[in-house]
Amino acid sequence: MAPLSAILRNINKTAASNWSNFKVHMLKNYGENPGKMLVHTGTLGWILSSLAQVGAVVFNDKISPEQKTFLIPQEIADAAINILSFYLLTNSLKKFGAKLVSTGKLRTKRIRNFLERNELMGNVGKLNFDITEQDNFKPLTDHYKSFKNGVDVVTSTIGSIISCNILTPILRNQYASKRQKKAIANMQQHNMNNIQHPRGISIADYQKMAAIKFSNKSTGLKI
Amino acid sequence: MINKIFNRLTNTPLYRGVQKNVRRFEQSALDLLPDATFNKPKTVQLIGDIGRDISSAENRLILGVTALMTQPFIDAKNKNVDEKTRKVSVCRTIAKILAGTFTGYFIRKGCIKAIKAWSKIPAQGVPKYKTLFTPKGARSTDTEAFKQYQNAMGTVIALVVMLFSNFLIDAPLTKWLTNIFVDQSGGDK
Repeated sequence: MAPLSAILRNINKTAASNWSNFKVHMLKNYGENPGKMLVHTGTLGWILSSLAQVGAVVFNDKISPEQKTFLIPQEIADAAINILSFYLLTNSLKKFGAKLVSTGKLRTKRIRNFLERNELMGNVGKLNFDITEQDNFKPLTDHYKSFKNGVDVVTSTIGSIISCNILTPILRNQYASKRQKKAIANMQQHNMNNIQHPRGISIADYQKMAAIKFSNKSTGLKI
Repeated sequence: MINKIFNRLTNTPLYRGVQKNVRRFEQSALDLLPDATFNKPKTVQLIGDIGRDISSAENRLILGVTALMTQPFIDAKNKNVDEKTRKVSVCRTIAKILAGTFTGYFIRKGCIKAIKAWSKIPAQGVPKYKTLFTPKGARSTDTEAFKQYQNAMGTVIALVVMLFSNFLIDAPLTKWLTNIFVDQSGGDK
């Protein structure tokens, strides 16, 4: 059996190697792609913050149970829609922005000069055309990367604004209000089933009276 | 093993059909847009600066500010719920945006700053802890890729910090602000 110090040394070595690999992986993956980093870390961030927000509603005793029936599903819907729409929309917009740049559709004056000089203007905007794959592209690399990174960040920011601040609130409200209506209808059904009827009248008659009472009086929430 | 499964999936007629349609859609979208050339050097410089300088912290701030301009109004226009619930919903949305933006921005910014301080290139006189986040083989901290790496690593560390701060700061702050806003707007009536 290996001594404890050797085992610990091994664990330490593995951890150090994993940590080193992780740093190299981060540099390779995100070093030249800030837009991708924004999308990936943004998605992870939304997952974590959604967890906390659901907890905040559950443990807030100043919010009434009726409001919680709306706010808890609102938070869950918010989380699911936020994460999905954030990733799908932001990533798609970012990819589309990148395509605009790589096909030469969106360009700087220098890139345009390059395209004209090499008689490539006829290929601009074609999906299988990639400006970076052209033979004498190398001198333009730094300029192109800087421009593409900027477009990447702009498109991913626009994507996240549309998904998180416009699309999500609209969709989550629709979903949550449907859930609220269902939950309140269930609560009322439960109350009706457990109703204590006064002596002298049947439970069926008493439920009818209660139903009339409910339909005439506002419960504070539209059903 | 995973590669084999992936290859098999991507070779199915269904996948190829979907991919073909996606490409057709992408091409149509590209055809719809007119060509655009940025002629002014200042505009090109600005776009480059955005790519270089907008880290996840600034991105979070932009999202927070635009969220304040849209989300409360969307909640206030939600006619599917009664006025009382709508009011609490608006108060909570504002509180959530303020708390989330505040902690999100400052934690990200702080972590990115810390990573910048602890990812120096190993050299004589540089303490070892200041190279804790330096990737193997890095030669200079002045390259564009290295700066983006620092932003990315700072953001990842910030997300780990936010695992705790979401519960310790965000959630109580949201609750406290919600209650203040609800009271300020006439209470839960």
